[in-house]
Amino acid sequence: MTTLVNGEIDKTATGRPQSRGQGDWAAVAGQESRDLWLSGRGPLLLFAFSVLLSVFTYLAATNRAINFLEQREAVDQTLQIAVAVGVLVTLLVSADAISGERERGTLEGLLLTPVSRRAIVLGKLIAALTLWFATFVVSIPYIWVLGRGVSIVRSALLLGLGVGTLLAVGLAALGLLISALSGSNKVSLAISFFLLLAVFAPSQLPGGLPKGWFGDVLGKINPVGSGLHYSTAVLVNGHGWTRDLEYLISPLVLAVLAGGGLLILSERIVRLNPGGER
Amino acid sequence: MAETSLEARRLTKTFGTRTAVDGVTFTAEPREIVGLLGPNGAGKTTTIRLLTTVLTPTSGEFSVAGVPSSRPNEIRRRVGVLPESAGYPAHQTGREHLTYFARLFGMSRSESSRVATRLLEQMGLQDRASSPLSTYSRGMRQRLGIARAMVNDPDVVFLDEPTLGLDPAGQRQVLRNVRDIAADRGATVILSTHTLTEVEEVCNRVLILGEGRVLVSGTVAEITSAVAAPRFATLRVPGSEVGAARQVLAGLQGLTIAASGERPDVLRISRSGRDGMNPVLRALLAADVTVLSFEVEGTRLHDAYLALTGDATVEEPSE
Repeated sequence: MTTLVNGEIDKTATGRPQSRGQGDWAAVAGQESRDLWLSGRGPLLLFAFSVLLSVFTYLAATNRAINFLEQREAVDQTLQIAVAVGVLVTLLVSADAISGERERGTLEGLLLTPVSRRAIVLGKLIAALTLWFATFVVSIPYIWVLGRGVSIVRSALLLGLGVGTLLAVGLAALGLLISALSGSNKVSLAISFFLLLAVFAPSQLPGGLPKGWFGDVLGKINPVGSGLHYSTAVLVNGHGWTRDLEYLISPLVLAVLAGGGLLILSERIVRLNPGGER
Repeated sequence: MAETSLEARRLTKTFGTRTAVDGVTFTAEPREIVGLLGPNGAGKTTTIRLLTTVLTPTSGEFSVAGVPSSRPNEIRRRVGVLPESAGYPAHQTGREHLTYFARLFGMSRSESSRVATRLLEQMGLQDRASSPLSTYSRGMRQRLGIARAMVNDPDVVFLDEPTLGLDPAGQRQVLRNVRDIAADRGATVILSTHTLTEVEEVCNRVLILGEGRVLVSGTVAEITSAVAAPRFATLRVPGSEVGAARQVLAGLQGLTIAASGERPDVLRISRSGRDGMNPVLRALLAADVTVLSFEVEGTRLHDAYLALTGDATVEEPSE
């Protein structure tokens, strides 16, 4: 921490103000968040998200019959859309975070500071997650409107926040890894988008996943499908919160592996030239 | 501050099979402005990226203000850099941008704000401090980039093509800033440029790179006297003495004569080898030829640069 002595910076033996260490990522996260929200990208994505959620909620509210179970299904479906689209935009923002800066010529300036690569990616990860939390906050009134009268609003919001945050952390970290390793921003965004389609599409197939052990394994290893299955089990099927915990393993593994991998590999992969020095 | 602020020893960088920087060795002192010259692809930007720890050397080592290259984080605290193609977030203001970078160098919010204000004033940007960077001209962005390079009060400042694309007034202002950095702050400035007049104007020493190697280093005077040779001259004699002059010149070895345009009294002389033009003038005077004018070319940094690199992309010196 820098202190002032007689109005001057108290320089250490090196003659320079020292890095704040853990505070570095906070400075990066703060500026990245401001960039995201003040540049108009964040508000635009949030607006698009709220339009999509409004349309879906309207359809869910007008099409459901007035019975207890279908109201729960409507809440669950809306929550699933909120989580899926929320983590999608989070993934896309993080996929742009390093490769985009490279192309805009702003990454070199950041790499020339004494802030560690780890602090840089951590700051960017947190900034990307602000978008997830914003989409979650936007989805709260929709869930509340659809869930009135069946006492599942609190459960739905807790599930959305828990499962969604787990998925958002994992996918945002994955997006940053892809961004650091991709040769161009377009490639990074395309890979991230197709990755999300690959994990989200199976759960939307007519009739769902194949039945039997293969379908079960497929469902459990897919972090998005697995996480959403868990929320459906609790909200719609009335299962206890601890009964289907195995469905949270893959979202947790994704968050730990992608997040941990990102932090461990950051010093090697966050480079001016994509994928290291060639 | 250490006696030698920058020292590079056999610095080498290869990308696959291509060697971008090949055994570069040099030193620089505080308050020195060192010009880094060379054709495109000579290794200037790679050398700067190595010395600023953005790239890791394949072999060799360097130190900045006594800090060895094995401590890149510590080196980054001691260098300031204006990268070749620096980008600026369009929506940030000049003040926000500098404050953010000062924060990244470990300063408190209040100190960062104070440093940003001071640097904006020094670079003449205080009136636009609160304007988004998207509204800045290229010259203003370059000056902001130099200000950014100064937030940590560096020992060594690397400026990669700081005047590229600027109008003459902008170039002049940037060069004034460069001089101030060295003179007032006592920092070493490494100035990479293609504009040789800038180098002649502000640099104490010059390093000319070619294919990743240091071809020559020294002061402008040392390089021009060692490398450049007067190989061209324009001679004007009275019309009645053109024949006599041609006869004298024909007797000298390695000389080629051509009439200059439509004026038969003006002869353009080129000479191979390193003998220079003094023997030519001596021979003319000895033969009693009236010399109305004798202009020698090939004694400037530009000529030395061309002699070393054969690069024709550099900016012609303006007379």
